[in-house]
Amino acid sequence: MILLQSPSRFLLQILQDRVLSGEKGMDIDCHTVEFDDVRYHIQFSMRNPKVVVLSVALPLPPPEAILYDGLPLGAIEAIKAAYGMVVQILDPPKDGFDLTMKINLTKLPSDEEQRNAILTQIASVREVVLGAPLKVLLRHLASKTVAPNVNKLVALVHRPNESFFLAPQADKVTIVYPMRFQDSIDIVLATSFLQEFVEARRTAALNNVPSCMWSPAAPLELKGVPSDALNANAGFVTFVVYPRHVEGKKLDRTVWNLLTFHAYVSYHVKCSEGFMHTRMRRRVESLIQALDRAKSDAEKLKKLVHGGSFKRLVCTLCK
Amino acid sequence: MSRYSKIGFSGNSEPSFTLPTVVAVNESFLDQKELLNSANWIAQYNAGIMADLDFFIGDEALSRSRSSVLYTLRTPIQNGQVNDWDTMERFWQQCIFNYLRCNPEEHYFLLTDSPVSTPESRECMGEIMFETFNVPGLYIAVQSVLSLSAGYAYLKSISDENSDPSSDMTGVVVDIGDGAPHIVPVVNGYVIGSSIKPFPYSGSDVTQFVSQLLQERGELLPPEDSLDISRKVKEMYCYTCSDIVKEFKKHDKKPDKYIKHWSAIKPKTGVPYTIDIGYERFLGPEIFFNPEIYSADFSTPLPELIDRCVLSAPIDTRRALYKNIVLSGGSTMFKDFHKRLQSDIKKIVDERVAATNAHHRVEVRPIEVNVVAHPIQSYAVWFGGSVAASNPEFYEYCHTKEEYEEHGASICRTSPVFKGMY
Repeated sequence: MILLQSPSRFLLQILQDRVLSGEKGMDIDCHTVEFDDVRYHIQFSMRNPKVVVLSVALPLPPPEAILYDGLPLGAIEAIKAAYGMVVQILDPPKDGFDLTMKINLTKLPSDEEQRNAILTQIASVREVVLGAPLKVLLRHLASKTVAPNVNKLVALVHRPNESFFLAPQADKVTIVYPMRFQDSIDIVLATSFLQEFVEARRTAALNNVPSCMWSPAAPLELKGVPSDALNANAGFVTFVVYPRHVEGKKLDRTVWNLLTFHAYVSYHVKCSEGFMHTRMRRRVESLIQALDRAKSDAEKLKKLVHGGSFKRLVCTLCK
Repeated sequence: MSRYSKIGFSGNSEPSFTLPTVVAVNESFLDQKELLNSANWIAQYNAGIMADLDFFIGDEALSRSRSSVLYTLRTPIQNGQVNDWDTMERFWQQCIFNYLRCNPEEHYFLLTDSPVSTPESRECMGEIMFETFNVPGLYIAVQSVLSLSAGYAYLKSISDENSDPSSDMTGVVVDIGDGAPHIVPVVNGYVIGSSIKPFPYSGSDVTQFVSQLLQERGELLPPEDSLDISRKVKEMYCYTCSDIVKEFKKHDKKPDKYIKHWSAIKPKTGVPYTIDIGYERFLGPEIFFNPEIYSADFSTPLPELIDRCVLSAPIDTRRALYKNIVLSGGSTMFKDFHKRLQSDIKKIVDERVAATNAHHRVEVRPIEVNVVAHPIQSYAVWFGGSVAASNPEFYEYCHTKEEYEEHGASICRTSPVFKGMY
């Protein structure tokens, strides 16, 4: 898996099971958490077999981001547009959550493909809600019109207490991410990953993708931003998005990939670490083989406990 | 065979996902040498770069490996122990990022481990979790203790009476999943390591046996599906009887009541076929009580093994152990398994008590034998973990990342549960 998927597997699984099992089934009351501190609570009780209640809690917004009534700008319109009559927003939302929706299973379309499409959309509620302001701006870009707050810097919620910045213009949108990581090894790996990322854009096959730059210091677009939003220990990544990247079906995918950029980088950093561990283990094995050859035959008869009885060289290699 | 991993968030009453612990990897690019042709080199470089991410886990892995030759299936866990850490790391990576979709740096993790696993394997676990995933805290729990707490939590939720606090964490855990079954006595939350008894036959052996019986009788099973069909037959139709001889007579007297049918379509030819399922229904689970019908290697029936296990535990704990024999693992969910186990163990124990009474002319208080069964046996360990991790004191028991950075992976070697009470 190279890209993180938009619909939440768990929510989709529960919704599909619920639709399939119809009249029978047990009560469900589950909490689940997604990366960047998005929490879901899904509830279903046999007393009301046609209704599933889903609550979403969003990450804590940083001070510079714009919110309207506790939800990102345009979220409620986006939900109504995406789900139609199937979903009803409950006001006020449940305690501790930012949004509560009642999903009416009887209003789902009877055609199986359409039904699965709507359920997948419901499972992608995070993309719909958090991505609403981004979608509004990118739609303006696609239609090459000038959005109401053009040339102003917009800060959108990215992670708890962190935001990313958009500078919308008539013909392109510049997006800047300050990248922060907690662990020192992660910072180093992320920096080289991002630099490779920028390098990879230069290969011939990728001419049509948004241009991408990395710099250790804040780029000029972020001139007016307060300095504590700008401390990024893994540099700043800048994307320039043109109208051809957001036309038609590409809009949803672009929005999702932009929204979860940090999670994507963090995922690949962890995969790289895993890959390096694989190579380290192979190296340790080959070294142990060399040592084994030096053993006398009598010692070789003693069976080694699997896992190796030599102090793991990997521990020292990792430090 | 495939063993199931149950993953989820604590505080919930069932796991978010239950998936087979298999990984399908694409190994076609692993050992290729660089070619001199530069265009090809870029393609290979790209493919080689992405190849380490080109794998699937769980049910997707099973279906991919069937449909495409590129993917080979690997099981990282054999006999309850991890022997392929690369595959295990990849499996965990996908569980965390693709299934649970959470950021490992924000959550404490609870992993479980067999009571007979080596300290080295716990060290490896800790190493992978702290180094690769940067988890803030990790607790490696012993599966048996979690099963006990699951049983206790379930009973408490359905009964109103106050429980006896000293007896809740004492009991014998009979863990028969798909891996290596063990009988583990736990006293006051501590595992008595020297009394752990292994049992060689697990759920996959029952499947093998059912498959053998069906083939011996001449049922036409397509060979590539035979284990798969036997497993489904086992899960749907097998039950535990109270006496084999009587059961044979019952089947012979009323065949249409007892014989079930299984219809499917042959994958290669598309021709539908039906097989009959008769004696296998009760002979399958019978290998736990009469192992010699399956193989001559091992002949101690499970009830006797449990009895021996309790007798090897300290003498003052034995009554409490007999009173709380907890079942866990998918293979203990056969219908009436707990009733048969309880009656068999009680027979052994009563015989011994009667012999003592006759020999020493005393009246020993009769020993209460109780086998506890509950509907969440197949994921009892996960449920116990969910309960344990919801406890606010859980965070203090975890090994933290700071401790790992300070002392290294050796902090994970021992679990406080093994330190013992003596």
